[in-house]
Amino acid sequence: MRFLLKFLIGIAGIVLAGSLPVLIAGWLNAEWRWKDYFDSIRITLEELWPLGEIAFFNYRAQQSMPLFPNIFEYIIYSLQILFLALLAAVVVSLVLTVITMLLSERARERVKVSLYFLESVPDLLIIMLAQLAVVLFFKQTGILISKIAVVGDDRIYMLPVLCLAILPTIQLYRLSMLTFQEEERQMYVDLARALGFSKVYIILVHMFRNAIISVFFQSKKTMWFMLSNLFVLELMFNLPGMMLFLSDNMHPLGFLVAVCSFFLPMFFLYSFGEWYFVRRMRGKEAV
Amino acid sequence: MWKQPYFVIGFSILAFFLIGSFVYEWIWGDVPRQTLYLMENGRAVEGTPISPNWQNPLGTDQYGYDLLGKLMLGAKYTILAALAVAALRMLIAVPLGYILGTYLDKHRKWISSLADSMHYIPLTLFAAYVLRPVLWMPPEGFTSTIWERIGMQVIIMALLTVPIVAILVANEAALLRDKEYILAAKTLGAGRLRIIRKHLYPQMREKIAVLYGQQVMETFIVFAHLGLLSLFLGGTKVSYDPLFADPPMSISYEWAGLFGSTFRYLQGAPWLPLAPVLFIGLAIFAVSMMMEGYLRSKNPKVKRNKKATAEDSVVEWNREQLREQMVRIKQNKQ
Repeated sequence: MRFLLKFLIGIAGIVLAGSLPVLIAGWLNAEWRWKDYFDSIRITLEELWPLGEIAFFNYRAQQSMPLFPNIFEYIIYSLQILFLALLAAVVVSLVLTVITMLLSERARERVKVSLYFLESVPDLLIIMLAQLAVVLFFKQTGILISKIAVVGDDRIYMLPVLCLAILPTIQLYRLSMLTFQEEERQMYVDLARALGFSKVYIILVHMFRNAIISVFFQSKKTMWFMLSNLFVLELMFNLPGMMLFLSDNMHPLGFLVAVCSFFLPMFFLYSFGEWYFVRRMRGKEAV
Repeated sequence: MWKQPYFVIGFSILAFFLIGSFVYEWIWGDVPRQTLYLMENGRAVEGTPISPNWQNPLGTDQYGYDLLGKLMLGAKYTILAALAVAALRMLIAVPLGYILGTYLDKHRKWISSLADSMHYIPLTLFAAYVLRPVLWMPPEGFTSTIWERIGMQVIIMALLTVPIVAILVANEAALLRDKEYILAAKTLGAGRLRIIRKHLYPQMREKIAVLYGQQVMETFIVFAHLGLLSLFLGGTKVSYDPLFADPPMSISYEWAGLFGSTFRYLQGAPWLPLAPVLFIGLAIFAVSMMMEGYLRSKNPKVKRNKKATAEDSVVEWNREQLREQMVRIKQNKQ
């Protein structure tokens, strides 16, 4: 029930945001256009109804395309890249964290500081350097590691996923370092150490289970950040994805559909995760 | 704060860009140097865009204007706008957060789940979507002045993530409010306003400073992303000529525009898009340096003391052990 309420509130937030440009255009002329604003919301909601009939203009194909199945393919492609990158970022950052936790205190501090500064590298720089590097490598050796741009309806995965995953990896790595270190101060770690368990065992079995919860909750912020990056990535690589489609369709309905296509899977993922972790924590308290 | 090397380095990078920007305009005027071709032994060896060399450290653009000059001229717009966006956002969000955390605590859950839905809208996308009517030049030309547009952009970008920041502050305030000393103050008859002013605010000053730094960094990134969508700070000049349309142009020399109008040249003239992004990266780096330095200056002693005591106790314990062993050995001998 609370889940449903949250879901509805989320959708309402997106619908309200979708018609904001109407209000802002009014501000430019120093007037409040509340009537236009609500009209725009109403029209958007009315257009939404027969879901199969929604169609958008696609500049690449120079024709109108229905939401199902054509646009839906774009959505799937974007989501594939997004979730592959998230998965890669989580796995790599956790593995790196476990390795760093085995190092000495001083080395850890140094890693943390350098990660902190690495976080300030803009995503655009990473994408451009990656593209330049691939071209340079191709010129030198004649081996094309990955295509750097998409022509037509081609699909590329490796390089975009790599570019998208680098910054979230750094962020999650630093965050999980912090949580693991926090966890290390807990009593049960001392107890386990006193019982003679090895450091690797304690980290992998005991601390990991507890730390993963807060890493999960933190990853929501990372996800938000990744969405913006995905947008830029699709533009730079010319990927046939959701974001590129949206930049051709900057009107309330297009905005609503595009944002919902991310909102739905992410919302279910995070609601499920929250439910699962909260249940597990409750179970622990009862014992 | 001024003794922390991190803070000083970060601050001087930002100050260099800002002061340099004004000094540049004051000495050389607001049009950068133009070189149309390079001559060598009486022959033209390179036309525009000229790659980086000694005279133009960052090369020139396709019209022969010195890129370093353009970047320096644009620094003030980008940096001041980012600082202003973040400052305005904090000015609105922090009091709002306090009000939410103290007066409207019953509604906090509900409001925070509404603000939570913002987490699913990519920020850049939202900003681009909302700012398009302000920044994109309509066919009949702009009706507003450049400063009006910059003002509008700053206000709108500040408002965009106010809900998220306000909720953050509110949750933090609600956490602090359950502390015992606040309870004690309440029992003694302190009003809510007094609690906010005298107890919550001083406790959270550091967190708010860090939050401000994060907002500045985020704003820089959003500016760069908007540049990619050819929505530039202060408006985009669009040519509606059906035959020979110029590409969208930035009105000022701000960095996002320099990047956004040239990223298609990445393979041919990589310095054109790379240099502005590098400068944006440097600015973000400077801010993160300042944040780290600020944090270190605020709680260095705690850390050092903790470490020192920890080491001391270990050392002492070792000494104790050694002494005991010695005593035992001596007793054994006897």
